Amino acid sequence: MRMSVYVIRRLILLVPVIIGVMTITFALVSSLPIQNRLVAVYGSPSQRAPWIYNPTLVPGQGPCPTTATSPCPNPYYLKFVHDLGLDQPIPVQWGIYIFNSLTFQWGTVSNHSAAANLISSIRGLPVTTVLSWYLPYTLELAVLSLALILVIAIPLGNLAAVNRNRPIDQAARIMSFSGYAMPGFLLASLVLMALVIGIGSGTGYVTHTPWCPAGESTFTELTQSWPLPNCFASGTLLSGYPTWILHNGIQSTPTGFPTVDALLHGMYWLALDTVLRMILPALVIAFGTIAVLLRFVRNSMLEVMNLDFVRTARAEGVPESLVVRRHAGRNSLNVTITVMGLLFAFFIGGFPVIEDVFHLNGVGLMLAYSVQISSGPIDFALIFGTTLLFTFIIVFANIIVDVLYAYLDPRVRLG
Amino acid sequence: MGAAPAEDAGPPRGRRPNPRLAQLRRTWYFLRRNTLAVIGLVVLLFFVGIAIYAATQPLPWTQLTGYCSTNQGGGNPNLCPSGSPQICTYQQGTTPPHAGCYQTPKSNPSMIPPTLSFAPLSTGPLPLGSLTIYPAGPTFYNLFDGLLRGADWSLLISVAVVGGGALGGLVVGSVSGYYGGVVDEALMRLVDIFLSIPQILFVIIVVSVVTASVHTLGSLSPTNTRILLLIFAFMAVWWPFYARLVRGQVLVVREQKYVEAARASGASNRRIIGRHIMPNSVYPVFIQMSLDVGTVPLFLGVLVFLGFLIFPTMYFPEWGAITALSVVDLQGFLVNCQVGICVLPYWQILIPGLVLFMYAISVNFLSDGLRDALDPRLRR
Repeated sequence: MRMSVYVIRRLILLVPVIIGVMTITFALVSSLPIQNRLVAVYGSPSQRAPWIYNPTLVPGQGPCPTTATSPCPNPYYLKFVHDLGLDQPIPVQWGIYIFNSLTFQWGTVSNHSAAANLISSIRGLPVTTVLSWYLPYTLELAVLSLALILVIAIPLGNLAAVNRNRPIDQAARIMSFSGYAMPGFLLASLVLMALVIGIGSGTGYVTHTPWCPAGESTFTELTQSWPLPNCFASGTLLSGYPTWILHNGIQSTPTGFPTVDALLHGMYWLALDTVLRMILPALVIAFGTIAVLLRFVRNSMLEVMNLDFVRTARAEGVPESLVVRRHAGRNSLNVTITVMGLLFAFFIGGFPVIEDVFHLNGVGLMLAYSVQISSGPIDFALIFGTTLLFTFIIVFANIIVDVLYAYLDPRVRLG
Repeated sequence: MGAAPAEDAGPPRGRRPNPRLAQLRRTWYFLRRNTLAVIGLVVLLFFVGIAIYAATQPLPWTQLTGYCSTNQGGGNPNLCPSGSPQICTYQQGTTPPHAGCYQTPKSNPSMIPPTLSFAPLSTGPLPLGSLTIYPAGPTFYNLFDGLLRGADWSLLISVAVVGGGALGGLVVGSVSGYYGGVVDEALMRLVDIFLSIPQILFVIIVVSVVTASVHTLGSLSPTNTRILLLIFAFMAVWWPFYARLVRGQVLVVREQKYVEAARASGASNRRIIGRHIMPNSVYPVFIQMSLDVGTVPLFLGVLVFLGFLIFPTMYFPEWGAITALSVVDLQGFLVNCQVGICVLPYWQILIPGLVLFMYAISVNFLSDGLRDALDPRLRR
């Protein structure tokens, strides 16, 4: 089968999975109380009409006359319910939900939810708009940590397999076990604590960099996606606070990708700073995945090293390093890619916590803020939007993995 | 009378041991040669012992108390939440108001360093240090007490979630693998769909929806109901992994001769699945279960860390929750480093973190040993 046909077939097979995920979220959404659903779609009620989502009105409230003797039905409520199709049979509601989800009508951020209280500039905006501000950062972070995963896990796994049962293999094994047992928030906080004290105690907790001579506190330098405004003093390498960073430092224009935008606007130091700020969170996110992947790389490498063609290569006098790198290494790559595809959901699941710890402007931060109950009620529109978005990322990543796999191993395409 | 006829039904056993018992003995033989697995088993048994000890205590174990200090910043009792038990603290270098007061560091009056007194499950003193929780006023929390009482909740919740998830997965996976065809295709696509939602997000949406719906019904609040809902929500997320695992195993088992023999002798599908296929494809499930038991508290911790208060009370004694709360608090202390107050309550993060880590890693060691013992191909 030709590659293009294979890719198209994979893309068609994607449709039922996406519809299925939306069906699950639909089942969850439709078990929510109607008021919560109305808030999730239309945003929170205004100050002047706090009763607007109530099914019935007491006399004197809104359009209900004071002379009424019993509670009257709320016409607005009935209209909203009708507009949303909530009075229709379940299959029709399902159809409407799928249509809305596919056309990116994911609802509105409520005015008084936890996320809106924490970040006021997202108040009352469509969920897709808000997520589109935050998605590029997450993608950049994901690409960086994926690169770290591959760069660290594969050589380390090969090394462990070559030095089987020697100290280096044991060390890799212990690292692998700790990766399973260490929750991301604990690791991130420990690393943060160590670095803030390690770097800060020598410099009085203020770090001066060439592009920020005014200095920035070590804690905010390690935990923000942009430098603080005082770093942008004119005359420094950064030359003034950029006008292309909008909404209180959330979204950058024109592409939205912070590093790319900094480069486009010629602020090379800012681009460097952005990447440097990403390295620590990327490492922490990568740690868990590396730990799991390491075992698989090692085991598949051990299997391949016992195969006949490796023995032949050795017998022919091919240098050992070349055997490991080319003969065995390339053939064990298949397993690595398959496992990486399976691990992708686990990998993405680490983002909310890490972006919360490091206060990065990513989609995960939105999720973390929208369930932070101590700041306000849960924002259902945001958590469902984030879930759909992350699921899309995972599903597309799986397709990329499959295509890559088919490219590396032509036998797959025949099936 | 109902004398057990099953005893007489089988062939005489003589000296031959029960094959399942022999398998168990073999597993144990290989397991105890694996040092890491033995370490894991010992640590896990220690935790189980603690859990049993804590569960047998007559103290109210569903909820822990935050202690409030009346001597914060000159001693303002109004800062204390009403009804919270009060303790007395004094800053280093000042004179204690009366006997039995706790010393706090000079630079930060809102932490009590660990003491080495051993007074488990007590209501007064704070052995091993405190967890200070903001922003509800300076509230101290007995870490040692919390970890002790947390043992039974942590183990109970993990075992319940993993057991329920594995049971669901076992049923779905067996049916899917045994019948094949359309049933298999449909069930496995369903599993694919479930698996493409990240676990942590799935848990969050299920728990939040359940909480919102039940809250409106007005029947929420008893501690046990909330914990039960939490467990069910976790199970809903966990079963697909097991379904996929079991299905793979069943595909192998159903081609075995004994399944064919059972079918030839006219056994019903239900009997074949229940008596022949399930028991023979259950070992990988055990291994995966032993691995997952360690991860459930980590997940609970992540939810609490994100600020999603899933438990009935803030001070709910569960290892993940305690660790998460202490870590959240640490960030506050790190911010303070900028203004020169950089005294970190290292015990706050190290003690619960170490317990959580030890629990998860010992379970991992044990599960790795089990895998080696049960899978002859991996045995070295």
